Amino acid sequence: MIDNRPIDFGQFWYSLGKELSEIPVAAETEILQMRSTDFADLYGVHMSSIGPYKIYGYLSVPKGDGPFPVIYYVPKNASVLEIIPQGTSNQIRSRYITFSVACRGMRTSDSPYSAMYPGQLTDGIESMSTYVYRGIVADTLRGLDFLLTFPHINKSSIVAWGNDNALLAGALHGAVTHIVSTPSFLYDSIQQASQTSSYPLEEFNDYFRLNPEKRDEVSKILAYYDLKFHASAITAETLIMADHEGGLHDSKTLSEFKENMSGQVTLHTSERSSYRDGMFAEEWVTEKLFGHDVAPIVPNHWKSE
Amino acid sequence: MGVDRDYKCRVIKPDDFNEFWGLVIDELAGIELNIVCEEDKLRSDENTTVYQVFFDSLDRVRVSGWYSVPNSPKERLPAILLVPGYQSDPPIPKDWSAKGYACLSINPRGKVRSRNQFDPGYPGLLTHRIVDRNTYSYRGFYADAWRGVDFLLSRKEVDSDRIGVAGSSQGGGLTITTSAMRKEIKAASAGAPYLCGFMDAIELTDTYPYQEINDYLRINPDSSEQVENTLAYFDGISFADQISCPIIINIGLQDNVCPPETGYSLFETIGSNDKKLFEYDGHGHEAGRYVHSAIIDQFFDEHLKR
Repeated sequence: MIDNRPIDFGQFWYSLGKELSEIPVAAETEILQMRSTDFADLYGVHMSSIGPYKIYGYLSVPKGDGPFPVIYYVPKNASVLEIIPQGTSNQIRSRYITFSVACRGMRTSDSPYSAMYPGQLTDGIESMSTYVYRGIVADTLRGLDFLLTFPHINKSSIVAWGNDNALLAGALHGAVTHIVSTPSFLYDSIQQASQTSSYPLEEFNDYFRLNPEKRDEVSKILAYYDLKFHASAITAETLIMADHEGGLHDSKTLSEFKENMSGQVTLHTSERSSYRDGMFAEEWVTEKLFGHDVAPIVPNHWKSE
Repeated sequence: MGVDRDYKCRVIKPDDFNEFWGLVIDELAGIELNIVCEEDKLRSDENTTVYQVFFDSLDRVRVSGWYSVPNSPKERLPAILLVPGYQSDPPIPKDWSAKGYACLSINPRGKVRSRNQFDPGYPGLLTHRIVDRNTYSYRGFYADAWRGVDFLLSRKEVDSDRIGVAGSSQGGGLTITTSAMRKEIKAASAGAPYLCGFMDAIELTDTYPYQEINDYLRINPDSSEQVENTLAYFDGISFADQISCPIIINIGLQDNVCPPETGYSLFETIGSNDKKLFEYDGHGHEAGRYVHSAIIDQFFDEHLKR
């Protein structure tokens, strides 16, 4: 296990930022009438990222003048790009600009590279120059670059929401003001993988089973992406959705990470209920962005009345 | 929000339902499987061999799956057909093999690795060609899941008398349709079943994926009757009276994706005399998974293991 941040960690991420800045966002937007409603319009957005590589996102904009707070759904470790996460009230699009981005390899961003799931997390991991995740991080940051060009956003309320990539977005892009993250695969990845047989972390176990001689090299590569080395750069107010007690990414495992983060952090231990955990996240975001007196927008079956 | 346990979905099983699906079954029977089953050394380990599987289904669409088998079985194995959720990627089912089962995790058409000939996308699958039951996306999608049973029956290591089907969400819906149409299925576990009570669900929920139908009807308001007519042939509730194997269902009473009302209505319609409903209050679409997983294991152990 690599215990120390790589010496050239800062340089590595600076060079990515510089490379990204030299590629214009070059956004092309098209309205998607079928997914537009009387309270929000939906657009498909094509953007350029490093490579160069064309990626795609769904941008939903409430009717009205704005400015509107933003929920940025970061790229997933899965093939499907959703407009908003399954089970989220569609009415949320009346309050927030929502933007979901497919990183390279996901559907709608899969030409020419179509990732496999499982498979994406270890794709090209044999060397620093071939590992796909550098591009995935770039795609995650590119989504924020696009949002900053959009005139109707409230720049003081930009929430990065999703998996580990939400935390990377907060660490590497100054636009993020709030984070809701469920860390799943970039925190101390190899050590965590050794304790599970579940994907996506099982990808590392699979890889080392066939390539045991690569362990040291892969450890060095993953250190650049390890959340624990990004913690101090995260200043956004953050909600971490931890596993249930005893789970792989539980509050005990993540406590040191939490302590090292620079912004205010709330750590929520999963109640093993998508309803209870989901309500907690919706209430947290609503309170942070609108205060105590505004009710969260939740699905019908989560309403008490 | 209180849940009406006596809720009845409005779907009416079409008079020619069996005729419609009989033609699909006949068509499927005329298509060779053309199985390719290749060991995946990257995903196999000391306990389990994993295969990438490909075979032909309706319209000769090539579909794929992950097939996982315990190493060195001493006798023929019970088997599970694992059917996937709507937008999730079908998993490699090594966990089922660790429990002693051969398991096919199928990727029906349009899912990752089964997209070359058919790919309406997400969102999109739920309303693709929805105004005609003969071209609706789920005609082939359901058939692909049923075809998974044929794959398992072709395997010499599988005991053909001990095949079960399991899944949650869309996998729950596919469990219903597959256990109804394939009598080789001896036990079924459906979680938070999707694809049941479509026309009720689009009014009970305000979430995707059911919102896809509302999106479609907003743009095509004149198609409402055609849409409802088509969906009646594909509604899990229309299939449910044909289920005769032991079956368990689990639902979350705060399910924000597949409304529990449709779960109750489905359960009432299931034809099997050996059926049990597990309701999880305080739970959403995961439908009490952390408690219910052990119940599923015990259920299949009882029905599929000697």
